[in-house]
Amino acid sequence: MKTILALREAECAWVRDAFPCVHPLLLPICNKPFIEFLIDFAILVGSPAVRILGDGELDAVERYCENGSRWGIDISYANMQTGDSVETMLGKNRRFCDKERVMMVSGFSFVRYDKRRDYKSLAGSMPEGEWVAGPGGSITLFGAPEKPEAQAADAPLSLMALDGMASYYRASMEALETGADRYVLPGYGGEPGCAIGRNVVMSKSVEIRKPVSIGNNVQLLGDAIIGPSAIIGSNVIIDRESTVESSIVFDNTYIGEQLEVIGRIASGNRLSDPVSGVAVTMEDPHLLSGIRKSEALGALPRKIVHALGALILIVLLAVPFLVVSTLLRLGGGWRSATGDYLSGKSGETISLGKVEPDAANALDTIASTLSLDRYPWLFRVLTAELALIGSTPLPAETQHPNAPANALAYRPGVFSYAEAEQWPATGGDAAIVERYHLVHSGPISDIGLVVKAFVNRPHEKTTP
Amino acid sequence: MIITETSANGIVIVALEGRLDALSAPKLRGSPPVADPKTAVVLDLEKVDFMDSSGLGAIVGAAREKGDPACGIVLSCMNNKVRRTFETTNAQRLFHIFDDTSAAVDFAATRQIART
Repeated sequence: MKTILALREAECAWVRDAFPCVHPLLLPICNKPFIEFLIDFAILVGSPAVRILGDGELDAVERYCENGSRWGIDISYANMQTGDSVETMLGKNRRFCDKERVMMVSGFSFVRYDKRRDYKSLAGSMPEGEWVAGPGGSITLFGAPEKPEAQAADAPLSLMALDGMASYYRASMEALETGADRYVLPGYGGEPGCAIGRNVVMSKSVEIRKPVSIGNNVQLLGDAIIGPSAIIGSNVIIDRESTVESSIVFDNTYIGEQLEVIGRIASGNRLSDPVSGVAVTMEDPHLLSGIRKSEALGALPRKIVHALGALILIVLLAVPFLVVSTLLRLGGGWRSATGDYLSGKSGETISLGKVEPDAANALDTIASTLSLDRYPWLFRVLTAELALIGSTPLPAETQHPNAPANALAYRPGVFSYAEAEQWPATGGDAAIVERYHLVHSGPISDIGLVVKAFVNRPHEKTTP
Repeated sequence: MIITETSANGIVIVALEGRLDALSAPKLRGSPPVADPKTAVVLDLEKVDFMDSSGLGAIVGAAREKGDPACGIVLSCMNNKVRRTFETTNAQRLFHIFDDTSAAVDFAATRQIART
């Protein structure tokens, strides 16, 4: 059985208004993008292939889901027109359907299912036609049953239309309360009702009241009370003596000191009441604000320290660079290739030459030990195009697993935090340590990390 | 750019192969079935490995000149690269896009029958 997920822009227009930076299919429900619940259900039904159909742009969804290999299924994307009937949609995807049974999930509805139940046998034995329908969408089966005689146990399945802030809030709280029993939810959890992501820094005096779901790179400062029924996204700071209860805090949000956020949705500097739908945009950044990379005064000390550090390295390494690189060039062992990399500024790229000494000899060892391959990049620190230490520069054209979802998570550097911490620089995990330091490190700690990266890089190369 | 014309069910199928760019776009625009406002065309894009704004402009321009949707252009078998070009410019909203040429032909034929 294959699955088609069809979403029309008109069905989720409210998401565009309420959360302009989030694609409706990536709207987090209990810190898990909405599309992942649908994909999980498709997998439960036994679909090896899922096609996502939309009448708007699917670029953000495609960047997130890619080809589906992380779920072990094949995900493809196609366009439809707003007025397309079900028959037209099936016709437009005839090659994908390929005479197999098809389950079509249409509309913007939260699918209530139970991961412990056998939906594969149930779907295989169900007759053709509508399986379940609700005001916001439906699940329909097309094609003859795969196992018509099979006796499958009934399993709970219903749809909750996500037609506004109130239903979104209800669905999130329901997912949080039923928790990992019914759905696959993100985060580590030693006990039921408490899921915590990576790099969560929590003061000793913080009180956690279950159920809660906390994302990655979160700071909970002294005497904060989290929960019950709190969903905290990633890259969030909850300042001292604040309470977050029965609320959803979106990614990249700062909650100021001594605030009570009860029964609300906080997203950036916008605080919404899910029941009335009223939203207030906070003007005071000490109360509630979006966390963004500071381009102004706050970034200046860091830039100055980085530039000074780069200047010192330029002076110290000038003679070794000139001698070693010249000798390696003459011997053909110094090859450089220029490529475009994502800049720290959204949508911009920088051109960087990457050097890979290819012979393992004494000169190569010196070049590696002194990081001479990065020497030309040091000048980019003086022009503020690169940081002295930051994220690993990502190629501009690729869909890299570490590709930043926002500017907060990315600042390309001559050396990377992953190198300093000896994390695998090419793996997806490198992004975690890099993002952590981007949020938490200061100019002085950066210098310490540069030294660590300088020392660790040659070691990293010799380690298998 | 190689342009191959065949027909099925009374509908002309124009299959493109290669790069659809500033160099090859005029060739597509000059192709008789594409230029004729009274001919319904299925444009098979499966073997288009690159398309720029000129190529996109050629397809959109031809579709606009046809005017009558029943004699319009239906697209089929878009690969991911081409689909992204359409999505980036939001041009996908202007076309019916099929993943199978025979399905596109059936759709175009049905529209012609409905008009007559």
